[in-house]
Amino acid sequence: MSEMYQEGTEELLLNMGPQHPSMHGVFRMIVRLQGETVTGIEPKIGYLHRGLEKLAESRTYTQFIPYTDRLDYLASPHNNMAYVQAVEKLMGVEVPERAEYLRIIFAELARFASHQVFIASAALDIAGWTAWGYPFRDRERILDLFEMTSGSRLTVNAMRIGGMSFDPTPEFWAALESFVDDMPEKIEEYYNIYLGNEITQGRLKNVGILSKEAAENLCITGPALRASGVQYDVRKAEPYGIYDRFDFDVPVLYGCDSFDRNMIRFLEMNESLKIIRQAMRDIPEGPVMAKVPKIIKPPVGEVYHRVENPKGELGFYIVSNGTPKPERVKIRAGAFVNLQCLEEIGVGTYIQDLICSFASLDAVLGEVDK
Amino acid sequence: MGNNDVLRKRVDELAARVNGKVEEMIDTLVLTVQGAYITETLTAAKNFADVPCDFLHDIAGVDKVTHIEVVYQMTSLRGPQKLRVKAIVDREKPVIDSVTRIWAGANFMEREAYDMFGIQFTGHPNLKRIYMWDDFEGFPLRKDYVTEPVEVRNTMRVRRDDE
Repeated sequence: MSEMYQEGTEELLLNMGPQHPSMHGVFRMIVRLQGETVTGIEPKIGYLHRGLEKLAESRTYTQFIPYTDRLDYLASPHNNMAYVQAVEKLMGVEVPERAEYLRIIFAELARFASHQVFIASAALDIAGWTAWGYPFRDRERILDLFEMTSGSRLTVNAMRIGGMSFDPTPEFWAALESFVDDMPEKIEEYYNIYLGNEITQGRLKNVGILSKEAAENLCITGPALRASGVQYDVRKAEPYGIYDRFDFDVPVLYGCDSFDRNMIRFLEMNESLKIIRQAMRDIPEGPVMAKVPKIIKPPVGEVYHRVENPKGELGFYIVSNGTPKPERVKIRAGAFVNLQCLEEIGVGTYIQDLICSFASLDAVLGEVDK
Repeated sequence: MGNNDVLRKRVDELAARVNGKVEEMIDTLVLTVQGAYITETLTAAKNFADVPCDFLHDIAGVDKVTHIEVVYQMTSLRGPQKLRVKAIVDREKPVIDSVTRIWAGANFMEREAYDMFGIQFTGHPNLKRIYMWDDFEGFPLRKDYVTEPVEVRNTMRVRRDDE
C-alpha cells in the first residue's frame, strides 16, 4: 500500500443536481466525499419554488384549489382533500355521503399510483430498468380513470369546498372494478421483479439506517416513519373524512433501512385496494355537492388540518380573517420535512448507497419546493 | 378524567407559569405566549405528564401587521392530544429561540420561517435562506412585501372582418 493511500484521500466536494438523473426532479445536494464514503451532505432546494403560500393570499378560497394540485403532482387528490377539508372544518360544512366515498376512492387510487411511481423510480436508481416499465404500465389505468371523470390525468382538481366536482359515469365503475381485480397479481409481479431480486436486496438491506428515535426527533412522517417501527398513520390516529368506517391495517416494519422503506409501500398498496373495495361496496346514491354559498367566506379563525399523503403528512394551516381571501395559508409538506433525515441516513455510507437512501424517501419536488 | 381534560389542566398550569393565554379553536387548544418563553413552554409541553405533546409537526410564521406570530403545531405519536403554541415576536426585530435543540426536525421549518419572514432563530445551527437564493432581498410572505406587477397581455386574437 502506498504511503499516500494510508494518509487517506483528498476530500472531494461533489455537486449532484439539480439536473441529475437520480434526483427525482430538481433536487440538488452537495456531497462531501472521502474516497467513496460520504462525510457530509448539504441539501439545496428551492429550484421549483413558486410561492404558493403567497399566491394563496391574493386568491379566493375556491381559486386556490387548482394550485394545490401542483404540490405533490403524483397524488393530486390528496392535496385537494387536505385543503378543502381544512376550509370545510373552518366553515363547518357537512359534505354529502357520496362525495365522502368518492374522495376516499380517489385518494386511495392516487396513493396507489404514487407508490407505483415510487417503485419504478427507485428501481431505476439502482439500474433496474425492467422494473421501471411494469408499474408505469399499470399506472396508466389509474390515469385513465382520472381522465374519464375529470378530463385531466395528473392534476385532477377533483374536489370542491363542499363535495366533488363530478359524479363518475358507469364506465368509470366498470373500469375501476376490473382494475381492483387485476392489481393484487400485479403487486406480486412488481415484488418479484424488484424487491424479490437478490441483487436488489443486497443493495438495500442494512443501508440507510434511520432509527426510531432519530425519526421521531427529526419529525419524519409517512412510510419512512412506519418503516422505522412506529405504527402511526393519520388515517387511524385522527381519522379525517370517513376513514374511521373502513377496515384496514397500518403496516409497520422494524428494519429501519432502505429495504423496509421500499417494502412498506408494497404493503400499503394492498391496504389501499382493500379500502377501495369497501368504498365501492358501500357507496350510497345521492348528491356529490353540499349547498355552499357562492362566495366562500369562512368566519374569523384558524385551523390546522392534516392528511396522510403517500409521502408523509400533508398539513394545511389556514388563518381566516373573515374576508373571501385567506390571510395566511401554510403548507406543511411531508416530503420537505422528511428530507432532513438525509444526513442521518446518508453520512457514513457509500455514495451509491446514498442514491438508494434518497430514493427510498420518495421526495417529490413539487411538494418540497411549494 | 379524559385525555382532553388532563391536557387542558396541564396547559392551564403551564400558561400560569409562562404568563400565557389559553383558548380553544375549533378542535385544538391554543396557548399564546410571548416569544421569550418559547423554549420553556415547548420543553414543558414535550414533557407533560400523561399527555406529552412530543411530536412537532410544523412551524409557521404569520404576519399580523402589528406583530409576527410563530405558530408551533404539536401532537403525540402515542395519543390523541393536540396543542398549538403561538409565540408573539416583535415585527421590527423578530428574534426568538431556536427549538432545534428540542426537535432536530425544526431545522428546515425554522429556515423556512426565516426565509419568508426574517425571523431570527437564535441558536439555530445553519440559519440560511432555504427557498430563495442567498442574496435575495426582502421577506416575501410579509404583508408589506411588494410583488412584481404581473404583465397582463391580451393573448386573444382579434379577428377582423376583412380576413
